[in-house]
Amino acid sequence: MTPLLEVRGIDKSFGPVQVLHDVTLHAHAGEVTALVGDNGAGKSTLVKCIGGIHPIDAGEIVFDGKPVQVHGPRDAGELGIEIVYQDLALCDNLDIVQNMFLGRERRSGLVLDEATMEELAQQTLSGLSVRTVKSIRQQVSSLSGGQRQTVAIAKAVLWNSKVVILDEPTAALGVAQTAQVLELVRRLADTGLAVVLISHNMNDVFAVSDRIAALYLGRMAAQVRTADVTHAQVVELITAGRSGDLGLKNGVTP
Amino acid sequence: MRAGPSQEEIRRHNLGALLRHVHLGGPISRAELTTRMGLNRSTIMALTSDLTAAGLVREELPRETGRAGRPSLVVRPESSRVYVFAFDVGPDRLAAARVGLGGAILDRREAARERGPFRLEELAGALAGFARQMRRKTRDDTVCVGAAAAVSGGVRKSDGVIRFGPNLRADEVPFGEELGRRLGLGLPVTVGNDANLAALAEHSRGVGMGVRDLIYLHGDVGIGGGIIAGGHLLGGHDGYGGEVGHMVVNPGGRDCGCGSSGCLEAEVGERALLEAAGRLGRHGAAQHGRDAVRAVVDGADRGDIVAQEALGRVGDWLGLGVANLVNIFNPEMVIFGGMLREVYLGSAAQVRSRLALHAMAPQREKLRLRTSALADDATLVGAAELAFAHVLADPLEALARVSG
Repeated sequence: MTPLLEVRGIDKSFGPVQVLHDVTLHAHAGEVTALVGDNGAGKSTLVKCIGGIHPIDAGEIVFDGKPVQVHGPRDAGELGIEIVYQDLALCDNLDIVQNMFLGRERRSGLVLDEATMEELAQQTLSGLSVRTVKSIRQQVSSLSGGQRQTVAIAKAVLWNSKVVILDEPTAALGVAQTAQVLELVRRLADTGLAVVLISHNMNDVFAVSDRIAALYLGRMAAQVRTADVTHAQVVELITAGRSGDLGLKNGVTP
Repeated sequence: MRAGPSQEEIRRHNLGALLRHVHLGGPISRAELTTRMGLNRSTIMALTSDLTAAGLVREELPRETGRAGRPSLVVRPESSRVYVFAFDVGPDRLAAARVGLGGAILDRREAARERGPFRLEELAGALAGFARQMRRKTRDDTVCVGAAAAVSGGVRKSDGVIRFGPNLRADEVPFGEELGRRLGLGLPVTVGNDANLAALAEHSRGVGMGVRDLIYLHGDVGIGGGIIAGGHLLGGHDGYGGEVGHMVVNPGGRDCGCGSSGCLEAEVGERALLEAAGRLGRHGAAQHGRDAVRAVVDGADRGDIVAQEALGRVGDWLGLGVANLVNIFNPEMVIFGGMLREVYLGSAAQVRSRLALHAMAPQREKLRLRTSALADDATLVGAAELAFAHVLADPLEALARVSG
């Protein structure tokens, strides 16, 4: 099976500091790929390179088998790549529908087509079996952390996206809300999307992922099937870059 | 030698098949039914008009199709008119629901249950009371076509007697018979094991839709299971099959309510988790039940080391149990329901590490691990499906029996 999204040989430096060295990552449709690594390993930078926020110094991005150029978030959006960031760029003073269509509002003639937007937002939420939100005309400021995360994820799905990248979606949530978000993440992949999940929580990673990609000091230590590894091996990959036959040899990708 | 099925039998089969499509898949156009069932249009029309006349479905013009041509009529289940009663008896709760054709829960009642001896009269009386309350609120043209109960215990297939139920403290209890008598609807009450029924529910309406081989694990006080192989529930010779909670994973381990020791249930069940977390007998917070289990998972998430260790330990045993099941049955999906939903999400690293170590590579390669989509309703939804089973097998006959 060819991956839907593949990045090959990515290098990225900020001034004299090289943050990513020859990084390769692939994400398959219908699967959750967990991106793990210690603080500063380069997870967020890698994601921002894919999303077009940082230009890459070297390497290529292949989408659906074709090499593509991503020069900005708009390019990524047009390809169907959506990123949900940790800080969730939602506007507190707007309601759920307004947030989901922010900057991309539907119009009929001169006025906004509220009815269609409302229906699409409702469809997206119910398509994801989201039952926790009472009204889609609720202001975002009145939502809990888990509900906000849900809205941010639904917003990413609304645009016929094919790849959804989630940066620590469960970081600030309690147990019950984490469970809901994890189940939502799994459903996204089960509906055919390629999902990339950044997480520090090994239980979250093992609970929903099909593959695990471990970054170590800016290098991709290994990308493995979750079914084939143990918790201890993944922790070794994160902290030492290698585990037995897996991982980096002498600090470089074999 | 027997001749092929008669025309009457074929018609009965087709009526049931069509009703099943509408019941499980929701409103569907006649045109869609023709393609799905592989029957011609006039047959579909004849079948739907029979079911419409019986009041099981109704036909409507679709809202808009966006396509040219005369729109095909949409067949909808008569959800508000045709219903069943579904009951659930767990160690900590009693629940009853009125479920419409098509699977919608129209009304429900729930009560907490004290853990203690199984008092048949009291229990059946309470459930029948719920049913009466709900029935009183229905319109006159509604019709109850069946009733079924999910119980946390082993149920004898032949007569619906709860043969054993260590967590309900039930032993040889003629539950179905007593509940049927108290309901006074002239309908028999079918009884099934709760985890078996939840497995069927997830298979027909939940996360396991379209999955022909799955294993559902239900955590309540103990661990129950339902195995669906090739699209059918594995009941065994007498109906006690699927008791995965009593698979021995740790010979000489903790004592189990069934009399054995080291059963999966004894190592993974509520008691094992709470004891390992040092929360058994602790005063103040919830002492047992779902809230106590949630508190352990919550504690582990907040950094309580004892809770983390307890969860990790339980996750290890759970993973070992699942690895055994995966090796034997090669399921496409394993579903964690009841309190195992929280336990799995909180200990997935251990569970899957065990699988990587002990499950054979070909079996685990495509295995999908999921949490229950129906959550706490799984057992009730399963009971409703059991109650509808005879209607789907022979719709007109079943309806004639209740209205006659």
